[in-house]
Amino acid sequence: MTASTDTTADRERAPTLEPIDWEVVASERDAHRARVTARSLVTAACFLGLLAAWAFDHVARASHEPFLTLATGVAFLGEDGVLTASPSHVDWLFGLTLLVGVRYALVPLWENPRLTRYYWRRIARNRLGVYSLYFLAGVFLVGLIGPLVLGDPEPQWDLGHTPPVGFGGTFAHPLGTTRNGEGILEIVVAGARVSMQVGLIATTISIGLATVVGTTAAFVGGRVDDLLMRGVDLLMTFPTLFFILFLVYIYGGNLFVLVLILAFTTWGGQARLIRSEALQRREEAYIDAARAAGGGPWYVIRRHVVPNVSNTVVTGATLLIPIVILFEAVVAFLGFGDPSVWSWGRIIADGRESLASAWWVSTIPGLVLFLTVLAFNFLGDALRDALDPRHEVNRGR
Amino acid sequence: MAWFVGRRLVWALFATFLVVTLTFALLAASPNPETSQAAWQAAQDGSDPEEARALVDQQHGAGDSLTTQYVSYMVSMFSLDWGQSTTYNEDVTSVIANAWVYSAITVIPATIIAVVVGFGIGLYSATHQYTTADYAATLVAFFGVSIPNFWFAIVLMLVFGELLGLTPISYDSEVPFWSLEHLSYLVLPITVLATAAVASEMRYARAEALEYVSATWTKTARAKGLSETAVTIRHVFRPATVPLVTILVADLVGIIFATAYVVEVIFGIPGLGYVSYQALVRMDTPLVLATTLIPVFVTIVANLCQDLAYTVLDPRIDYEGRSP
Repeated sequence: MTASTDTTADRERAPTLEPIDWEVVASERDAHRARVTARSLVTAACFLGLLAAWAFDHVARASHEPFLTLATGVAFLGEDGVLTASPSHVDWLFGLTLLVGVRYALVPLWENPRLTRYYWRRIARNRLGVYSLYFLAGVFLVGLIGPLVLGDPEPQWDLGHTPPVGFGGTFAHPLGTTRNGEGILEIVVAGARVSMQVGLIATTISIGLATVVGTTAAFVGGRVDDLLMRGVDLLMTFPTLFFILFLVYIYGGNLFVLVLILAFTTWGGQARLIRSEALQRREEAYIDAARAAGGGPWYVIRRHVVPNVSNTVVTGATLLIPIVILFEAVVAFLGFGDPSVWSWGRIIADGRESLASAWWVSTIPGLVLFLTVLAFNFLGDALRDALDPRHEVNRGR
Repeated sequence: MAWFVGRRLVWALFATFLVVTLTFALLAASPNPETSQAAWQAAQDGSDPEEARALVDQQHGAGDSLTTQYVSYMVSMFSLDWGQSTTYNEDVTSVIANAWVYSAITVIPATIIAVVVGFGIGLYSATHQYTTADYAATLVAFFGVSIPNFWFAIVLMLVFGELLGLTPISYDSEVPFWSLEHLSYLVLPITVLATAAVASEMRYARAEALEYVSATWTKTARAKGLSETAVTIRHVFRPATVPLVTILVADLVGIIFATAYVVEVIFGIPGLGYVSYQALVRMDTPLVLATTLIPVFVTIVANLCQDLAYTVLDPRIDYEGRSP
């Protein structure tokens, strides 16, 4: 009857659980696991490859011949179209830093296009930030490729000071020359590489250290927290510049040593910031869930705490780079830097002697340094606005 | 409260002790630059570098055990017996005593300018958020923070000294101390020092004041009929002073000391920065050590004063609880 037909219809309409094909789930899970394993393998292979190349270059091979020789056939590249590269320790470390950047910044951004577009829209609200990003990308590329194309600054003793184009100079040396006849353009390009190397390598080490110390202190708490944070307090009672100069006095100003000194003297403030951020994260439900599921402290820190403080880390890193670059420039300016490296600080100091007669030697590299630092500060500010939700309150209008 | 102050004092002393120990460890664990210098010098002169090395080491008491060296080091550090400066042929302490005045005459005015101008503009920016003046101030602050201080000093020298001829180019310590002429030598150094500090104070003051501009108590104060000025000073600035004091101390040490170092070297003002620079160049270890440690001691004392100032500035601070 009606009642019975109703129940049949009801039964037909009744919501059923979606059937799960466990084979598909299993195969998807296996595919995901395979992808993760493959990626870990590729990452490990890249890092090991770099390490092997460094070991081959600096340990096995003691000769002074260039590590790499590339005949391009294009006459203006390098010496008669042959590009050579003899990477120093700093160059290898720079390669390692870039690899870390690709693996932990570019690859995740590439894999999450929707999130990338979202962040980009938020950063793009700040036009100065976007222009700064383009400018810095330019400086980075010039620093990376420029020295290969232009070669090292070569002295031309008979040339002496020549002014830049537009002030009576020629296009042979568009930005003028130093007293020894070295082109300012070549020096600025070589300096761009040094500044980018120092800024990126030292910041990566410094921020890595700050993240480890900050998250560990916050997550483990108790004695460990007290010990680590008192250590940071102690580190920060040293005014950074004086500490750097003292260490340079003891260990010398070789670029590789200087990078390490800068990395180990600048991480304190960031560690404090990251700790206070991680203290808030520690109370979140997903941390409890991860622990309840059996995650050990290091696993939880690595997979749940660090990714959730990454906004602070990224902003902090961007604002630390200009500080590190300025410290390197000051050390070089005072004459305690690496005499074999063309740093912007060094050329600014060189130009001091002939300030009235050859203003371009100090001012042009200084202007580039200023703009680079300014661009990093603008970019850091844009990133903070885009990544830090706490700043949205002030953006109400 | 007394417990808090006491604990703070003990930490300051302990920090001083640790810092001095750390410098000893750093010096003991590394080759003495002076020794290498002596060895190099001996090689240049044609005598035996190893002999020169041993001689210098002996003068520095290298024959003693590490503990003996450490104890004598600590004792002399804390009894202010800081050794002889080879650069100035004087006691390190008297070199410092002569030099600090020249640092003070640039650092103190720059600090006052930084506090007054920086906080003033910052407060104005915060209470006039998103106006043209606010944007202009923010932009200027970015420039002030980003400009490399040593390059700025050189550009000022080039423009005002060389091109316009308005100010002297390098410092002359023969000038009478209390005179207008002396002031003309100090204008550019103080400008460079103040620029970065003003920019930094301004940014912090703006950010901190913004937190309180739309707080409920400022609305209450306005509703009571208080003038805008009174609201800004009593109800926005007052609560913002607590974080600003923290930043001020950190900034003074970080920005003004570092800038003073470079400025003294560039303009040739014989203050502590210049002395330290000479010591580094001439490998004068006792003087290097003294000029490195003095800023550290100043920082420790400044941090102590800062924490004690809190007790006056913010009655709400809980001295027993753990700070986040």
